Amino acid sequence: MKKKRLPKFIFNFFCFLVYVFLLAPIVVILLSSLTTTEYIVFPPKGLTLRWYTELVNHPEFMSSFALSITVAFGTAIIATAIGTLASLAVVRREFKGKTAVVQLVGSPLLIPSVVFGVALLQFYSWIGLAASPLALVIGHIILTVPFVMRLVVASLVGFDRSIESAAMNLGAGPLKVFFQITLPVIKSGVIAGMIFAFITSFDDLTVALFIVSTDVVTLPVRIYTYMQYQYDPIITSVSSIMIIFTVILMVIIERILGVGKVFSSK
Amino acid sequence: MQPVMGTEQDLLLKQKKKNLNRKRLDTWLLLLPTLGIFLFFFLLPLFFLFITSFKTFDPGSGIGSEWTLQNYIKFISDPFYLGVVWRTVKIALITTLVTIIISYPVAFQISKAKGRAKNYLTLLVLSPLLISMVIRCYGWVIILSNNGVVNNTLMSLGWIDTPLTLLYTEFSVVIGMVHVLFPYMVLSIMGSIERIDPSVIRASQNLGASSFRTFFSVLLPLTLPGIFAGSVMVFSLSVSSFVTPAILGGPQVKVMSYLTYEQVAVMLNWPYGGAIGFLLIFIATVTIIAYSKILARSEKGVAIQ
Repeated sequence: MKKKRLPKFIFNFFCFLVYVFLLAPIVVILLSSLTTTEYIVFPPKGLTLRWYTELVNHPEFMSSFALSITVAFGTAIIATAIGTLASLAVVRREFKGKTAVVQLVGSPLLIPSVVFGVALLQFYSWIGLAASPLALVIGHIILTVPFVMRLVVASLVGFDRSIESAAMNLGAGPLKVFFQITLPVIKSGVIAGMIFAFITSFDDLTVALFIVSTDVVTLPVRIYTYMQYQYDPIITSVSSIMIIFTVILMVIIERILGVGKVFSSK
Repeated sequence: MQPVMGTEQDLLLKQKKKNLNRKRLDTWLLLLPTLGIFLFFFLLPLFFLFITSFKTFDPGSGIGSEWTLQNYIKFISDPFYLGVVWRTVKIALITTLVTIIISYPVAFQISKAKGRAKNYLTLLVLSPLLISMVIRCYGWVIILSNNGVVNNTLMSLGWIDTPLTLLYTEFSVVIGMVHVLFPYMVLSIMGSIERIDPSVIRASQNLGASSFRTFFSVLLPLTLPGIFAGSVMVFSLSVSSFVTPAILGGPQVKVMSYLTYEQVAVMLNWPYGGAIGFLLIFIATVTIIAYSKILARSEKGVAIQ
């Protein structure tokens, strides 16, 4: 038994180092946003919330934050709605060209987003669609529908359809059956898809970088371009707010669904 | 009686046909929104970009009117660009390898954990997926820059006199990439570890095999499919990723995705940017196909064993 203890210690220590590696950049950002210095330093020197109050002088970050949330929200709602409908067709119906449809809808996962961003920018400029929340939402729908469909298809596959026919035999119309029977059963897949869509859209830099204009700028693009010219702690306070926002979102979701459920339906 | 039955059957048949037609109609209604958006805003733009990549460059409008293969020829005949391809693939290979090495023990630990501990560890491993990639890369900038955490620590310990150049190197890109792609590998390996029947491991131990022997002759072969599947994902995501090389590598460490961006956004050379983009798609697709061939073979191998 004694012989086994040392390797086990090394094993656990290795895993511990990996967890430190995973959390390092996030912890570094959160802590260095509290520095009193004019430059970014870790560990922070002194403690102040000055870089958070300083944000008042940077309304552009606030408007970008609002835009990002609007776009992510729109994307999540639309991508989940149309992705769920398409999943129903893919799982429950037989039709010609099903494989082609499945491959087409899955292909944004294979196409580098840079190339899609370039293609979309060229297409938008040809059809005359200027940078707008709508233009961003359309691009993000393409990026997120594959995730939504994966999650919803997974929750539809094990679905016991006899409860639907029971409801129909009892006189429920197709819409009623969908909203009162089908949707509640596949709820966790649908909600997980919605969360993924929201996060993917909120996080996207690559596609948005091509679509934004000077006055329509999402938060990741704002941070990216700001970083290229300045290196002050404002960035760390903005980033910290984003991290805290995500954590709060996760806690709410945890309360509603349970983490286990969200991730197991993956 | 006979004719009446006939009409009844006819009626039933008609009803069935009508139902079938209606069903076919709502199938397409269900698909319409998704399919419409994908055809119009995904397939069509990519098709146009593909056409553009065969056009000449016009300094005024970006896209000339002549047809040419020059964009592709220029890329595959210039040592500089071939160097970029090699760097892209090299970074992806190293990332994949490092990710396998560091995620295997973690995947093992999580699969063996129980109850609460398992939930928390899973959340910890997946949490990077949920926090913005731009922000995480930015965290690495703070850690790796010339007056960053690593250099300050090493200098205050007196181990080095001048800061090491860590940022804007292939090293920093790999670090960022491993951090971003780690969860995919862990999930994939965890899936295959959890599918193993624990009695197989016990059998190996009861027959007197050492932990090492058990690992290399039982555990590793049984989890190879998971490692391969994770590798395909990590490799292809790494080859095509843009955010990490753009923030942690920048113009100093050019990879294919950055080159595509630069040609279009900075040089305004749409045809050339398009051509590089499609070569990138080609490389990513070829590796995925090659990998999945190997995967199919290795799964057969496992089944035979």
